[in-house]
Amino acid sequence: MIPRYQRILFWSLVGCILLMGAFLLHGCREAHKRLTALNDATPIAAPTAAATEEVNLYFASDANATIHSSRAQVALPQDTSLKARALLEHLLAQYSRPDSAHPLQSGPSVDDVFLLADPAHPNAGRITVNLHGSFADTHPSGIEVEQLTLDSIIGTLHAAFPEFNEVRFLVDGQVRETLAGHASLDRTYPLLDTTAGPAVPSEAATQP
Amino acid sequence: MVKRNPAGMHMESAENSPGAGTTRFRLSGAKALSPSYNSKNVIQQRNHLPATVAAVLLTALPLVSQAPPPPAPPAPRPQPALYRNLIVLDPAHGGRDKGSQISANSAEKEVTLAFAQRLRPALVAQGFTVVSTRDSDPADELTTDQRAGTANHVRPLACILLHAAPAGSGVHIVTSSLVPPETTPPPGRAVMWNRAQAPVIPMSLRLANEVGLTLEAANLPVLLMRSSVPPLDNLTCPAVAVELAPLKGSSKNATSAADAGYQQRVANAIAAGLASFRTHNAPPPNAIPSMASPRAGVAP
Ligand SMILES: [Zn+2]
Repeated sequence: MIPRYQRILFWSLVGCILLMGAFLLHGCREAHKRLTALNDATPIAAPTAAATEEVNLYFASDANATIHSSRAQVALPQDTSLKARALLEHLLAQYSRPDSAHPLQSGPSVDDVFLLADPAHPNAGRITVNLHGSFADTHPSGIEVEQLTLDSIIGTLHAAFPEFNEVRFLVDGQVRETLAGHASLDRTYPLLDTTAGPAVPSEAATQP
Repeated sequence: MVKRNPAGMHMESAENSPGAGTTRFRLSGAKALSPSYNSKNVIQQRNHLPATVAAVLLTALPLVSQAPPPPAPPAPRPQPALYRNLIVLDPAHGGRDKGSQISANSAEKEVTLAFAQRLRPALVAQGFTVVSTRDSDPADELTTDQRAGTANHVRPLACILLHAAPAGSGVHIVTSSLVPPETTPPPGRAVMWNRAQAPVIPMSLRLANEVGLTLEAANLPVLLMRSSVPPLDNLTCPAVAVELAPLKGSSKNATSAADAGYQQRVANAIAAGLASFRTHNAPPPNAIPSMASPRAGVAP
């Protein structure tokens, strides 16, 4: 026959074990929650001095082959080269939205932008845009769609950097013949306002 | 009538129509072959040639690899500036270069070739002689420099580059985005290969406009655009690229660029546009005796 005090002690200890088990389980859950909260995939923004600026973005529309400009507030770094790259990345990222009028795949688009000003000629600088290889590889193929992407970049650069007058494109640091089989990347483009849409044929322009 | 000239170019002429001038073209075309054209032709035929020609081939190879083909050797008598009844068609892509995917079972290279084969008889019916840069799907794709070399060599009234696209709408008539020079370069001066099209941009814009008007008259939606599509910038003739995009009518489903009926409508309109361009910009020399001297370079 087990004494009464031993039975009380036994059940008290069993109760303690269950309580401790519940406490441990609760602690584990809390710790798991804390750890997954830290494990967010969002990259931490680089510590650059970025001030929000109002910029003109030139957007392409495939339906009627036009470029229209629209003003936007974008946080841009102070350094000119980083600013140009951030501006173009922001512009091209808009095209991967579901409601885009000129759909492009999302992903890295611009590797670097180099701005080469000519001190002797104040308005004769050249911008070199080094596109990411995957951007060119996944770009839709066609004369209209490729030219609109170039016109969108050219117009936006012209509005943001009026002191530069021409642009060249590289892909992964190399000269490539075309963007995706059509629009030539093997030439220098003048930086100008690209908002003028496609022309319509006219009877007046037929005579020499 | 279909025949092959010594250069292996596929030519079809409209001998029953007046003013086609086929005999004259054939003779001068055969006589004035440039070294680059000959050597390219040798390469294409090397499977059939005996081994003794191998040495000739080896000496000719470096000529092909040079990007800008050298100008034609000086002719014994001055060549006409252009042949007013000659059109060069360039069905884009081919070989490993498939172009874009037009529909589930057709690539752009097949659509452009089929379109060229519809455009050719439509042009012949308008009295044109047609030279095509390719008539089949070659194993090795033609480089854009080879295409430009063929087109520049034969001095046509116009060069038409044919493309197709799976997106967009209607027919896009594309002119080079080069800026024409402010002063006309003196004749006989060397032309930069990458800017060969610049002096004829005003003519190319007129050509685009004429073709655009006939397409509009045929109730086809047209967009006139500027883009430097290789080899547009390297062509010395008035040149446009025609991009066939899906035809979006009142019904919901669009007609693909691979559709035969759509291609035929566009082909007929382009041929009419080219005939109108010829009438406005290159009238036959004997039709305007008072303007004989400025038109002296135009062959009938
Ligand atoms: Zn194409």
